[in-house]
Amino acid sequence: MTSFGFALRRPAAIIGLSLLFLQIVLIIFAPAVSPYSPTEADPLASLLPPSSTHWLGTDISGMDILSRIIFATRINLLISITSVALAFVIGVPLGLLVGYYRGFLSGLIMRIFDFVQAFPIFVLGMALVSVMGQEIWNVATVLAVLFIPIFARLIRAEVLSLRERPFVAAARCSGATDVDIMFRHLLPNALMPAMVQVSISIGMAILLTAGLSFIGAGVRMPTPEWGLMVSSGAQQMILGVWWVSLFPGLAIVLAVLCFALLGDVVRDLMDPMKAQQFARDPEIDLQPIGDNR
Amino acid sequence: MRAPEEAMKPVLAVERLSVSFGTPHGETKVLRDVEFTLAPNEILGIVGETGAGKSVLARAIIDLLPKGGRMTSGEVRVNGKPVGKMTEAERRAMRGGQIALIGTNAKALLDPVETVGNQIVRVLQSHSRLNRKAAWTKAVQLLADVGIVNPEQRARAYPHELSGGMAQRVVIAMALVTEPKILLADDATLGLDATVSVQVLDMLVQRSRELGLSVVLITHDLGIIAHYCNRVAVMREGRVVELREVSEFLKQPEAVYSRELLAAAKVRPIPTLRSIGGSEMALLEVSNLVKIFPGNRPGQVVRAVDHVSFTIKRGETLALVGESGSGKTTVGQCLVRLIEASSGSIRFDGNDLLTTAQARFRPLRRRIQMVFQEPYVALNPRWRVRHLVDEPLRMLEKMSADERLKRVHQVLDLVNMPAHYAERFPHELTAGEQKRVGMARALVTEPDFVIFDEPTTALDIRVRGQIIDLVRDLQTRMKLSALFITHDLNSVRSLAHDVAVMNRGRIVEAGSMETVFSDPKDPYTAKLLSAELAIEHETEARVARRPKSAEERVG
Amino acid sequence: MIITFRRQWEVLPRSLQIILGRLALVVPQMFGVLLVTFFLIRLLPGDPAVLLLGNMATPEAVEQLRDRLGLNDSIWTQFLVYCGNVLHGDLGVSIFTSNPVTVDLMERGPATIELIFYGMILTVVIGVAVAVISVRKPGGTVDIVSRFYGLAAGAIPDFWIGLILIYVFFTLLGWAAAPFGRIDVFLNAPPPVTGFYTIDALLAGDFDAFRSAAGRLVLPVITLAIVNAGGLMKMTQSVFSGVWESDFVRHARACGVPERVIMRAALRNSLPPIITMIGFLVGFLLGAAVLVETIFSWGGLGQYAVQAVMNSDYPALQGFILVAAAFTLLVYLVVDILYELVDPRIKV
Repeated sequence: MTSFGFALRRPAAIIGLSLLFLQIVLIIFAPAVSPYSPTEADPLASLLPPSSTHWLGTDISGMDILSRIIFATRINLLISITSVALAFVIGVPLGLLVGYYRGFLSGLIMRIFDFVQAFPIFVLGMALVSVMGQEIWNVATVLAVLFIPIFARLIRAEVLSLRERPFVAAARCSGATDVDIMFRHLLPNALMPAMVQVSISIGMAILLTAGLSFIGAGVRMPTPEWGLMVSSGAQQMILGVWWVSLFPGLAIVLAVLCFALLGDVVRDLMDPMKAQQFARDPEIDLQPIGDNR
Repeated sequence: MRAPEEAMKPVLAVERLSVSFGTPHGETKVLRDVEFTLAPNEILGIVGETGAGKSVLARAIIDLLPKGGRMTSGEVRVNGKPVGKMTEAERRAMRGGQIALIGTNAKALLDPVETVGNQIVRVLQSHSRLNRKAAWTKAVQLLADVGIVNPEQRARAYPHELSGGMAQRVVIAMALVTEPKILLADDATLGLDATVSVQVLDMLVQRSRELGLSVVLITHDLGIIAHYCNRVAVMREGRVVELREVSEFLKQPEAVYSRELLAAAKVRPIPTLRSIGGSEMALLEVSNLVKIFPGNRPGQVVRAVDHVSFTIKRGETLALVGESGSGKTTVGQCLVRLIEASSGSIRFDGNDLLTTAQARFRPLRRRIQMVFQEPYVALNPRWRVRHLVDEPLRMLEKMSADERLKRVHQVLDLVNMPAHYAERFPHELTAGEQKRVGMARALVTEPDFVIFDEPTTALDIRVRGQIIDLVRDLQTRMKLSALFITHDLNSVRSLAHDVAVMNRGRIVEAGSMETVFSDPKDPYTAKLLSAELAIEHETEARVARRPKSAEERVG
Repeated sequence: MIITFRRQWEVLPRSLQIILGRLALVVPQMFGVLLVTFFLIRLLPGDPAVLLLGNMATPEAVEQLRDRLGLNDSIWTQFLVYCGNVLHGDLGVSIFTSNPVTVDLMERGPATIELIFYGMILTVVIGVAVAVISVRKPGGTVDIVSRFYGLAAGAIPDFWIGLILIYVFFTLLGWAAAPFGRIDVFLNAPPPVTGFYTIDALLAGDFDAFRSAAGRLVLPVITLAIVNAGGLMKMTQSVFSGVWESDFVRHARACGVPERVIMRAALRNSLPPIITMIGFLVGFLLGAAVLVETIFSWGGLGQYAVQAVMNSDYPALQGFILVAAAFTLLVYLVVDILYELVDPRIKV
């Protein structure tokens, strides 16, 4: 069995990939699979508990919760994936350059990251979105800005340690130029933690997006969005109307869980040595010669 | 098996010991029916290569097998008492109390956030009811006993403030503090400089003799066996293949494997004859090379290389020997311009390397190549062997992909690697194979001059022998000129025509290998040579094999 | 001059060197934070004066306000003025409450700090204890539970789990106190000394107030801990298991050192990264507090910030994020100093 297949056959990977598949299906076929319109209010059907007509019940304006959860997958994943993709595309090359060339500009960029990261991430996100205006794209942009330092720092830290490794010196002796070294030697080796971070960040972005909407600093009603849906049921929860908030919250949990699990899968797949461990005996001699530095 | 010391009861007896490790793919036997005894005052050497099960044996004796390991049969008796029948408390008292373990890489064996004095106190207080103050006094006394200068002050130091040799002495003090009867030294001096290693071993063996301890010296170095042990057990794949007196073993090993080991460790005859008459022009001429690094404090500087000069002729090999920190590796890095020299000149076949701009130096790289020291970390872990060996060609030669592939296969063949290895990743290779890949990379552009940085370090006995033979083969076949940077004097005898000895950035002595090694002029060279543990059987042991007092004490 | 300074510096005790060195770094960091908060409001599309006064304002009023706010000066003058004001404790006036922002923040600060403080303690206790037990008894119940918890904790939204807790423990079971504020409306808040209701109530000997305040804390504190302990636990697990399997622990065992002593040494070695993580936790908790306070009508800084967002109360928002960042920096400062004090390997 190949190590690749082995890594994909772990239960965590199976669950993660199934959840991802489910979300993709819901995103593509949302109109087909959802029983009602996600935004159509029905005053006569306000706050109905789960039943055979409304599987997950209705909210205060009588909108079907299941349909809204399905449609919200689009918004939530769109925001999260866009923001992380943006942060990755900007943060990774930035981290590579800042790690490889150490000069005034690199120092300045790192200081700016310091300033941005001095703010608690949710607090800064809240302030930025409320100042820029509560639009979907603004939420995505703000999250990207918050995530850029994370990716850049991660890559920089890897590059800083990798560039001192003898294989870089060996490449230089073989005639490799700066560009060769950065893109052929350093980047592929530095990318693994960033790839894992992609998964983790998508999860974080889902939570942040939902949190922002929850306090009213994200997208606005009646857009179907999970955090907003939880918030719309918050008032009634205490009165015993549990379904309005419970189900969208579960959707958040599953979505974040999915990306956390996928992060582990990526970690296993990207690391040739780790991937091998599935197929190979562990080293039994405890202190092999040459292991003494 | 021979009976040990007539009437003396063994202090340690290992009887038909087998150990297995559970893995996802079933059980792996790591020790198979290992059997030996250790007499009072005896020093038993256990020698073997990686994977022989030596370290597992040491841990099995004190009943601390690593995760997944279990004893499938056999017994260990300490002073006649089976370890398996001890209570948990007795076992804890036995560890450190009766048998003390001294491991490899002492710095990692010490708690990094506690002073070494307190750590010794911690061990002492685990085995006796001494109060803190008395324990501290004893700890300091022991540090003095193991040869640490300024013990009072050193006891307050943290492990990171100590050198490797000093840390090893601390670990030995920690072992001796409880006055145990048996010492288990598991590759205790691996990774230390030869002179330090020999000092530590001398001290260890001497103290053991004085205190009447029995010692098990586990090592991969036959020199240590030859110079310090009474008997030797040769291990291979979990079995003891030979167990006998060291002097007999060196003269006439019984097992085939033992003979292979001894043959691999022996010095080869002097390499190919040098070009007659010395009419050939010097290929490489280094004069007054200086490299200055900034020190830890502003204004302070470190002269890593201090006015170093030497020449290497075509087809000849110069060995640059010295201990860690001598600056020998820095010289090599200056030659390939991995770091820029501060001053001096390097002339290579008529070109001045130091004044050439980096861009114009690049074409010269195909003629000067370097084989890096640590085989694994010098290879990009994500590249296959084929790509690794191909890199210098792709960067430096104008060749088609087919031509390059052909050359890659040729050079892999040259370093005795099967063609199908081309598709492997570095982590799928053994240390020796990784070293060969490193050499293939350096040789693929058919350079005139190759720098070998520590090519024999950290290799198993037979692999080291193979690498030495390979380099010798390249010297004859390719008429290679080489700079051979090493601290392994023994390998120099087999590989180099000339020797330059470096100490603290300076060359203290240079000349032909035979002259320098047989008649060292500089005291530092003499010191280095005296630390060489040769196995040629006429050599005398460093420390008397039998303590004189032993018979008296017994008799 | 420089050399004599160096010499004087080197004779200082290590701990003092660490503290002074770190303090010197805080000044530029604080400056950077001011820069960010200042330009944050500059991002506002349109004229801040119009935004402040609303669309109905007369052009004269707008011009007057522009003048008063210094909006007609150059941007760097404005920044300097802003810095000067902040140094004097002037964060502007809240549009919504009409109080100086500084006064509003001072009033609400203790509520948030009390919440975060207890949340932090519970988080650390759960995170570290579970991690240590799971490493020492691999495959045991705690280990297995910890694996699921570690995975789930990172996925649970704090605002949601807070609501679920309220529903289960207040609405359904009736065990928990009502989620409306820090203390029962019929009780008087204890006279402020520390600002922590629990401590102040004890100081005043008012046990009813103490019981009520402590009761009100239970659910929000549990909410904070459930969500944040997972990350700390996973990190502690990896650090502690690394130490637990390290050579020096094995060597100590081979020397016959009792497990209890080894355990203490291993924990001490795991401390530096755990301390750093706890520092980051404060930032997370501050963000989480915004959500949790909203749910529990806590009346602290978080709720104030949410109100500011809802009402476009920008001076209040600006003041809040400045204070949040300053508080975080202060915590990082303490954490860095502790880190260097507990790890002798760090060069000062």
